[in-house]
Amino acid sequence: MKKTSNPTRFLTLSLIAVVVLCIVIFGFLAFYMDNHNKETINEVGAIYMKGMSERITMHFDTTIDYNLSQLQGIVEAYPADSLLPQEKLREQLIYDAKARGFVYLAFYSQEGELEPLFGPDLQLSDPEPFLDALNREENRIAVASTASGNRMMALGVSAEYDMTGDRTCTALVAALPIEYIQKILSLDSTEHENSLVYCHVIRRDGSFVIRSGDAFRESYFERIRALFEGVNEIEAEQHVADLERAMNAGENYTNILNMDGERRHLYCTPLPYSNWYLVTVLPFGKLDLIVNQLSSQWIGMVLGGCAIVLCALLLVFAKYFAITRQQITDLKVMKAEAEQASKAKSEFLSNMSHDIRTPMNAIVGMTAIATANLQNPQQVQNCLRKISLSSKHLLGLINDVLDMSKIESGKLTLSMDLLSLREVMDSIVNIVQPQVRAKNQQFDVAVHNILAENVLCDGVRLNQVLINLLSNAVKFTPDGGSIHIALYQEPAPQGDDYIRSHIIVKDNGIGMAPEFQKKIFESFVREDRTRVQKTEGTGLGMAITKYIIDMMGGTIQLKSAVGEGTEFHVILDLEKADTPELEMILPNWRMLVVDDDEILCQSTAASLKEIGINADWTLDGESAIRMVERQHQMRDDYHIILLDWKLPGMDGIQTARELRRRCGEDVPILLISAYDWGEIETQAREAGISGFISKPLFKSTLFYGLRQFAGNGSDSVPTPEAVPPQEQVDLSGRHVLLAEDNDLNWEIAEELLAQLGLVLDRAENGQICTDMFLHSTVGYYDAILMDVRMPVMTGIQATEAIRALSRPDAKEIPIIAMTADAFAEDVQRCLDCGMNAHVAKPIDVDMVARLLEKCIRARGKAGEAAYSG
Amino acid sequence: MTLKECYEKMEANYEEVIGRLRSERLVQKFALKFLDDPSYRLLITSMEEKNYEEAFRAAHTIKGVCQNLGFTRLGRSSSALTEALRGGWSQEADSLLEQTKADYQSTVTPLQALRDSQQ
Repeated sequence: MKKTSNPTRFLTLSLIAVVVLCIVIFGFLAFYMDNHNKETINEVGAIYMKGMSERITMHFDTTIDYNLSQLQGIVEAYPADSLLPQEKLREQLIYDAKARGFVYLAFYSQEGELEPLFGPDLQLSDPEPFLDALNREENRIAVASTASGNRMMALGVSAEYDMTGDRTCTALVAALPIEYIQKILSLDSTEHENSLVYCHVIRRDGSFVIRSGDAFRESYFERIRALFEGVNEIEAEQHVADLERAMNAGENYTNILNMDGERRHLYCTPLPYSNWYLVTVLPFGKLDLIVNQLSSQWIGMVLGGCAIVLCALLLVFAKYFAITRQQITDLKVMKAEAEQASKAKSEFLSNMSHDIRTPMNAIVGMTAIATANLQNPQQVQNCLRKISLSSKHLLGLINDVLDMSKIESGKLTLSMDLLSLREVMDSIVNIVQPQVRAKNQQFDVAVHNILAENVLCDGVRLNQVLINLLSNAVKFTPDGGSIHIALYQEPAPQGDDYIRSHIIVKDNGIGMAPEFQKKIFESFVREDRTRVQKTEGTGLGMAITKYIIDMMGGTIQLKSAVGEGTEFHVILDLEKADTPELEMILPNWRMLVVDDDEILCQSTAASLKEIGINADWTLDGESAIRMVERQHQMRDDYHIILLDWKLPGMDGIQTARELRRRCGEDVPILLISAYDWGEIETQAREAGISGFISKPLFKSTLFYGLRQFAGNGSDSVPTPEAVPPQEQVDLSGRHVLLAEDNDLNWEIAEELLAQLGLVLDRAENGQICTDMFLHSTVGYYDAILMDVRMPVMTGIQATEAIRALSRPDAKEIPIIAMTADAFAEDVQRCLDCGMNAHVAKPIDVDMVARLLEKCIRARGKAGEAAYSG
Repeated sequence: MTLKECYEKMEANYEEVIGRLRSERLVQKFALKFLDDPSYRLLITSMEEKNYEEAFRAAHTIKGVCQNLGFTRLGRSSSALTEALRGGWSQEADSLLEQTKADYQSTVTPLQALRDSQQ
């Protein structure tokens, strides 16, 4: 049992390993992809931010450049040394500045004093660098605010105009509303809600020049510190330090920060015309959200896939596991069965050796006694009788064993042939009668609803089955018991070509225990010997019976109870033989059928009706007498009365005697019985019974039994013709090729067959036979008679060669095997290789003639069918 | 010697063969021809040459002829020999061959006597 747990453990372990492997691989994939997503976003962010910042910077540059050049334009249009009077010049400057959209214009002194030409008073936010640059004659911008707090963007261009108080200014300063710049830089986030990006403009010390979004502190650095406060202050300081270093170095700075619970991409770049820096911030919030959604979808899909793969794996494993378990169980069962079979076989062998030895001993012993008493014929005769009995018994045993070994090696074959069920039933009734009589048992045969008497079946094997069932019934039924066999038919499900035949063999004997019923059809089994010690046999009979029925495609069922009896029910679907229906008509008689079996009465009446006879029936002798008497008084006597022998109350003999006494000798009274007529003939004749019809009562049985009572001669009743005259075949002049290697056999065959008027040609072996057929004109030979064992080429090979020829008659010429091998297997082999029929040696002229007629007629029909079709 | 006496000596079935062939003349004609039938010689030489396939066929032919002529005794032993040789050589074959030889002699001797008495 240790072995069985090993595959289970292996399976479980490997399943776990595969599951773990799956989870690891898929987990790694999910993790890797997620990480990779972030990196990709960062990269995308960096590229995007750089482009964005460059664009904004460029835009800023262009805008400032443009405004500066406007201002420069004004300065150049009105140079300080122009001849215009001071007042006029100032007016012109104001006019031009207004026309170019400036909201403020002032002269800027070298000391940093503003002298406004128009617009509100302005206070520069960070005047020193502005003044320094202008004094160096560079153009510059700055932020300024009015007294009311409105912020402005101031632009300065070097110019030397006269200021009030005899001073000369160092620059002309114009201003634009700060909103203008904000708009240009898209810094006003309120107007661009959809834009992800927002910007600040800061100075080098971190103070805001322009701020947007939610920034409210004065310094960007403070803002960063505040945002990181309590979260990661070190990182904030690091970031500020890095930013300052980059600003000092005049480099671009890019970084990703975690702020307000989301990642933000930060990009810092210096702006021209100022010492300002543009800080562009891209919060990854929305992007992250989308990408995270994507990646969680992705992970979901991966996990889903993983789950499906795992489920599939589990299923496969479970299935495989179940199959393995099933196989193990099957193996165990098979092993047990094999052991059981082998045990049964060895038991059987030991039984058999005993069973065979018993009659063998009798034979040996009786032979010795007979030898010792040669002078005493009485004694010798007695011994011989016993020897004959024992040898018959021994033969039975050996036949069973041989059959069984044939079955076990699969060599048992059926030879299907035309079979009359009536003949089968008649013959088995004859065989069983002595056994029944010996045990003084009641025996009855019932046949009803017969739709087809002639069928195709292996008669020998069917007989074997029926005799086996019946002799078992006789054997296992005590003296005085009753045995009943019934045959009836119904249409078969396979169609009109078949007929379903039911055979029921029933007894009221010792019956069988349910356990034994289960194994009765197994080989080598016999019921426990305490009850059936006296019974002889191999115990193979039922197994052989079952096997034969199986081969015939039928079924056998068993009903039995200990002490109550046994009933076997055999169902066979037999092929109907296409024999011409005999025209069986008798005069329109009135008949009476008396039998205690109601079904038999009805069925017999129906059969009689088909023959043209009207029949009444009744179930006992007393009522039969009343009916006959009534008809007699009405002067309308029954023509014939059928009387069962065994009737309840008054039996058939008594009834007949009474009928004769009352109604005279005119009406023929026939006894119907399954018993041997010989036993009761004398008694019956004395009682006035005119004749006997043996059960079972087939239609043909009735016809032939009753025909003799029809009129005075055969002229009033037509003799049935099995073969209509026009179909009879005249064999004289027919050409037959006979393959036979032995001269003597050939001469005998020629002598015998020549009597039929056949013209015979001889072929010495299969090869010559094939050649002769090949070189004959088509249709010259009507048939080939083929020996099987021949030198050079056997009959089987020759038949195959002839059938393979392409001549039109190669397929249809009748080939009949003639051989000394008469086993069913040999016959089957002949039929398998393409022969039409088989006839055993020694040659029986009538048999050969019949076969030839049949084959030639069949060929003629096939030919006609071929021509008409 | 009559044909019937001859058949009795051979332990052959006279009634059966007459029933089948229907004429004493025919039976006698064929029975005497058995003396010239080569199958027996073929059987003996084949057995000596250990050509058991040929021997089987020869035994088979003898069996067939015996059945045709109603030679019950020789038919029985040749039939047994046939079965023993059906699948090639078998243990019983040699003893059965001896039996067949003996039966052949007891068949041929009366036949020769019959032929001699006819001439």
